[in-house]
Amino acid sequence: MSERNLYPGLNLGSGHGEAHEQAETTVFGFWVFVMSDLIIFGILFASYASYLDPIGLAGGPGPSDLFDIRSVAIQTAFLLLGGVAYGGVSLAVKYDHPRGKIIVWLLVCAALGAGFLFFEIKDFITQAGKGGVPQASGWLSSYWTLVGLHGVHVFSGILWILAMIAQVIWRGVDDVVKVRLSMLGVFWHFLDLVWIAIFSFVFLVPLS
Amino acid sequence: MSADISPIFGKLDWSVTPYTDLLREVNSSTIVGAGAASVLVLGAIAAVALLTWMRWWGPLYRNWLTSADAKKIGIMYIALALVMMARGIIEGFVIRTHQSTALGTLTQPESGLVSPDHFAQLFSTHGTIMIFFVAMPLLIGLINFVLPQQLGARDMAFPVLNQVSLGLTAAGAGLVMISLLVGKFGTGGWTMYPPYTGIDYSPGEGVDYWLWAILISGVGSTLTGMNFAVTIFKERAPGMHFMRMPLFCWTSLCVAIMLIYAMPALTVSSGMLALDRYAGSHFFTNEAGGNMMNYANIFWMFGHPEVYILILPAFGVFSEISSTFSGKRLYGYTSLVIASMSIAVISFTVWLHHFFTMGQSAGVNIAFGIATMVIGIPTGVKIYDWMATMWRGRIRVTAPIVYLTGFFLLFVIGGLSGIILANPSIDYQVHNSTFLVAHFHNVIIPGVLYGMLAGIHYWFPKAFGFRLDEDWGRRTALLFVGGFVFTFLPLYVLGLMGLPRRSPTFQNPDFMPWMYIASFGAVLMLCALASLAWTFWTSYRNRLALAVPGGDPWNGSSLEWSTPAPVPEWTFPHIPHVAARDDWGECKRSGDPWKAPQDYVDIEMPANTAHGLLIAATASALGFAMVWHIWWLAALSFLAIPALLAWRGMQVIEPRIVPAGEVEEADRRFRTMMADLAPATRADEETERNRGRPDLSEFAG
Amino acid sequence: MTKPNTGEIDPQESARQELRSYGIGFVASLLLTVGAFAAALSDLPTVWKIIAICAAALLQIVTHMRNFLHLSFSVEQSREDLLLVLFSAMLLAIMAGGTWYIMSDLGGRMHGNSHEDRSTSLP
Repeated sequence: MSERNLYPGLNLGSGHGEAHEQAETTVFGFWVFVMSDLIIFGILFASYASYLDPIGLAGGPGPSDLFDIRSVAIQTAFLLLGGVAYGGVSLAVKYDHPRGKIIVWLLVCAALGAGFLFFEIKDFITQAGKGGVPQASGWLSSYWTLVGLHGVHVFSGILWILAMIAQVIWRGVDDVVKVRLSMLGVFWHFLDLVWIAIFSFVFLVPLS
Repeated sequence: MSADISPIFGKLDWSVTPYTDLLREVNSSTIVGAGAASVLVLGAIAAVALLTWMRWWGPLYRNWLTSADAKKIGIMYIALALVMMARGIIEGFVIRTHQSTALGTLTQPESGLVSPDHFAQLFSTHGTIMIFFVAMPLLIGLINFVLPQQLGARDMAFPVLNQVSLGLTAAGAGLVMISLLVGKFGTGGWTMYPPYTGIDYSPGEGVDYWLWAILISGVGSTLTGMNFAVTIFKERAPGMHFMRMPLFCWTSLCVAIMLIYAMPALTVSSGMLALDRYAGSHFFTNEAGGNMMNYANIFWMFGHPEVYILILPAFGVFSEISSTFSGKRLYGYTSLVIASMSIAVISFTVWLHHFFTMGQSAGVNIAFGIATMVIGIPTGVKIYDWMATMWRGRIRVTAPIVYLTGFFLLFVIGGLSGIILANPSIDYQVHNSTFLVAHFHNVIIPGVLYGMLAGIHYWFPKAFGFRLDEDWGRRTALLFVGGFVFTFLPLYVLGLMGLPRRSPTFQNPDFMPWMYIASFGAVLMLCALASLAWTFWTSYRNRLALAVPGGDPWNGSSLEWSTPAPVPEWTFPHIPHVAARDDWGECKRSGDPWKAPQDYVDIEMPANTAHGLLIAATASALGFAMVWHIWWLAALSFLAIPALLAWRGMQVIEPRIVPAGEVEEADRRFRTMMADLAPATRADEETERNRGRPDLSEFAG
Repeated sequence: MTKPNTGEIDPQESARQELRSYGIGFVASLLLTVGAFAAALSDLPTVWKIIAICAAALLQIVTHMRNFLHLSFSVEQSREDLLLVLFSAMLLAIMAGGTWYIMSDLGGRMHGNSHEDRSTSLP
């Protein structure tokens, strides 16, 4: 009943002709790029673990001093909803819903991503106020870099969403735009995926 | 030296050039420094003058810098690499010369051609340039040129991204070059270990030059890996199953995978070091929880796969030339494929052998030591396979075969010294001595350099339409062989005698005979460099006699030899349907390989674009601005990059259509010419009679 | 040029399946997230907490890959995408695991480190 998936993410399907074919190469290529990004995060995670000892903490504030589980839960909710919301975009593109609907779903995703960032930045500021600045210890440098890099990715994702909205308005949902939206979908889901690892291994495990 | 930062010029002031050092004090070191900067300046002026006088700016921009064609991009990568290689070899020569004059005494410990600080910059730039801006661009360029043609594709999967990668690599190279004139380079070797390279102990701009050159070109290389992988997975011609690909494509796939997974580690280690230096973080500092071993750990997670990235394309070239120049099919195709993939995967499990002596328990050392020895096995398999390929073949000793022979004799020594080093107990004795320096030059020069130069010789006619002069090619090869032997074999002895690597001075006079031999070798290397340049020049002057318009000068068996030379922009008038391994060879065996196609179609080619050039410019500005703390310029160029991407995203870009008529006309001219060309036998291969149409009766393949 | 759905797939049917996929993924992720947070905040012994959190994380990652990124072991999926993920996971395990192995060994041999670590370190 369902067609073969040619690439990760929701496939456009053969009804989209050239866009679907082009997407096989382009989205696969993006998938490969995401793998290299994953390695960057993986190494940062492993480093984080190596700084998570009394030497790495260097007498500065530690996880129990700085982490606000409630805020982390809120951020998780924002990203999970934001990730699922992209399904709205993917389905709208695949089933040729009007441009406006695609734009609305994109804005929903961007808003949820922005909500995530709001709470994350608020946390960072609070932590800095308590002396938990990245310059205070190896562990803090590692924490800020790992979580910060993810935040930078979320911010870039939001910028990309805005750029795609501009493209949808300016040039319509042509083949190239469809392929790009597919790539953005893969990226957007990955943001949530990496966050799972972050809330688990950066926040919850050290607090346990 | 001032600590003030001007808001406009950052840390730049008049004291940054080596000329001010020379004015302050005239000694051999400052003369060398000023001399090097002058070569850069004069070279740049000469290049601009030549381009202007020959009115080549327009064609350079239109036909090369804005081209997204992988073949052109490949040639540009190689051109970049050869220019950087000239600097790298000369620096090697200065290092050897310095060490020959560096015998000190206990009362006057330091002596030599250059000052210790200058020497440290020299070995740092030498290593950085040779690995990142000679070997990498050489292999990436070669793969760019050859891979699509061998796969039966017209271009890489992402042509414009390819252009961007080239631009980023060039930007990195530019930063290393400009450090000759403006400021100093870092003194921490090509690996730049903290805390020495942290802001406390290396407060100047030197390490920053390295960081930004590495970070910027690193992004380019990661994107290249992705591009190669997708091309191999998705762009193969119909019928080109994985097990029908030429070995060079298999090694390219391995290289792609390794680039994708290893480059990120370098990005992380360099990024963390940059944060330490710029933002005061404590990843690798002495105090406040820094862990300097993490740098070594992460760096070598990149560094080890990197050296296999360097060698595998050479192995690919050797597979191609050992079969072509013996007139025999490649022996043990499947074992070669398995060996290549094994090398690729195992290379990710051995990185600790680069720091056996840095404090781990014996158990950890043993685990990685065993893995290191294991990786010697697939390499050995490959060497046996190539020897078996050549066994009982009708071997023509062309320049590539001279390189291959040199490889057989010399690389094995380097591999064996690697197995010796893989034993942690032995490594404790010779780690960081010149024994190690000899080992890695022993695998890189007979491996990577000979392989790349052989590859250039082999595919040069396809790119430019004429062969390189064989006699000069062989002379160059012999000079590189002799140069290696005399420069580096003595270093094994010196290492066992106790000379540490990177020594600006030493006190043992027993070292001197070996030092002098090594310096003689360095002179041979300079001669080899000159001979290489002369080979290109004399071949160019003689290009009509050396022309091989038929496109198949060596009687090869893979797809790239089915096209004319120089290969047209679109490579194939029709994407070939592949029926077998060595498909072109099969065509030659089964009858009329140069039969014209039934019809011709319009061909879509990627449009020319300045995107790569613009990214290169902004990246260069970003790197330079960050090195010199010119924050306004850094911010501007940083923002320009997403702006360029967004701007390009808004445009609807149509491919360029090459009309069927144009393709047909060019192709028919080719076929008509082929019909009239006299076939050349093997005996004629090096003579004027070789016009690129081989004698099919001699094709055993 | 936008090419409309040529009607080869029944939009209603596949859309429903796809929505179900997203729905199931969302609910599963929610439960696993709540589970992980609950484990962290609970009174379980530390080791159990960590195991629970890791398991939940792994399961949620797999859920995301299956339900949102539509990767699967079945023939309906391009093999290369799956192979890439598995290969990446293997290399990540080697790199992260290797880092952990090396750095904890080094840490165990340093000043001021707790002696309890000695019993778990290799000879």
